Amino acid sequence: MKYFYFLILLFHFSSLLAQPNCEAYKYLGDTLKYEACKKAMEIRGHYQFSKEYQSILDESIAIDPSFDYAYWAKSIAYLKSGDFVTWKKLIDKAVEYNPKEHLGYRGWCRYQFFRDYKGAIRDIETLDSLVDYDIGQSQNGTYHLNIAKGLCYKAISEKEKAIAVIQNQIKLNEEENFVGPYDYLHLGVLYLETEKFEKAVETFKKQSKNNELAENQYYLALTYLNLDKPAEFKSCLENAKELYNGGRKMLDPYSNPMDKIYFEDIENEIKGFTTKSE
Amino acid sequence: MKSSFLSIIIILFNFWNCNTDKKVNEKQEYLRWIGDIEQNDQIDEPEFKVCNGNEYVLQYFNLGEGPVYSGEKSKILNIFKSKYRPISDKTQNGLIRIRFIVNCDGKAGRFRILQSDYDYQKKEFNKEIGSQLLNITKGIEKWEVFKRNEAPVDYYMYLIFKITDGQLTEILP
Repeated sequence: MKYFYFLILLFHFSSLLAQPNCEAYKYLGDTLKYEACKKAMEIRGHYQFSKEYQSILDESIAIDPSFDYAYWAKSIAYLKSGDFVTWKKLIDKAVEYNPKEHLGYRGWCRYQFFRDYKGAIRDIETLDSLVDYDIGQSQNGTYHLNIAKGLCYKAISEKEKAIAVIQNQIKLNEEENFVGPYDYLHLGVLYLETEKFEKAVETFKKQSKNNELAENQYYLALTYLNLDKPAEFKSCLENAKELYNGGRKMLDPYSNPMDKIYFEDIENEIKGFTTKSE
Repeated sequence: MKSSFLSIIIILFNFWNCNTDKKVNEKQEYLRWIGDIEQNDQIDEPEFKVCNGNEYVLQYFNLGEGPVYSGEKSKILNIFKSKYRPISDKTQNGLIRIRFIVNCDGKAGRFRILQSDYDYQKKEFNKEIGSQLLNITKGIEKWEVFKRNEAPVDYYMYLIFKITDGQLTEILP
């Protein structure tokens, strides 16, 4: 888990890591792209949203209109401001000029920002068909792209397919000692939703060991309710409440993750249980 | 009669303004930041003020707390669930974003609307859908107050509505 968080930290600076090596273009004899790249590197120190940042990238594109990096870098502010129309036009250009580099990113953003499940599946699967290497993690490092794909299948009601995809990826992640912070939780919720209660309990317990969360205890409680274990149900809800108040809950700086719960959800379950018991 | 005609003209003008966005490939003059919303006295409430100046309005995610709602997101979901009246129409599909500023008092203003189909191409929804969502959003009295170094800040926030067959299916972020 420590190893995972170290990599998450690296992903936080992923826009820096994603910077192209301009010298490589020069080496390959592509002087236009080299010049566009050198220009684009002048964005250093400017905020993604700022006019200076955007204007520099416009100049880069003017030098070489096929320089994918500039479109990608420009698109980020539009994505984060929720301007899906402009974002899509820009990221489509980046994908057009360098699909292997940007398809996974576009697929992930479709899911993370716009819950465009079918579009995300399409992008991730297209990337998978184009490359013979591991398609890698989501931009924020939270999920392997196959886990994200599985979540999209769940959202379009293909739950058995979602289970198969996520199970398979978790197995690979376990081999690499690189299970994501919410991987077991999502799989556990899928088991719960498909009434595989014993498997759900087992998976939520793995999540507890990996990264305990209010959501995990909440869904474990619901599973126990289905297994007719009221004492465990109540105890897990109390745990969920404590974890929630302590800030141990799912978090994404830009959106609300799938399977996230709210305090009200825990309270409602506790109230419902108390009313039934009276 | 004269005043109602004037009102219609103003409403139409406002709606057109709310839906105007620049195209990507056009040579454009940028504002301070992408997505900045300038005060427009013709469509914006004159009483709404930012507290720290337009040049210091942040984005909701700048403070690292994620999208936070006063009373949590479930409150927002419940508001739209109870107030939005679906228009049953198979042609009404896509995304609607309403972007606005939340000031240091948790009040919202300068609302702008952006609409597209599910292929991210601009489109106009049935006006009843857009105006309902806009009015419900405007009716939310209290938004989360964000602080930086103990001082309340102004920030940009948005809601994205997914519409399928005229039904409101998801609210983001």
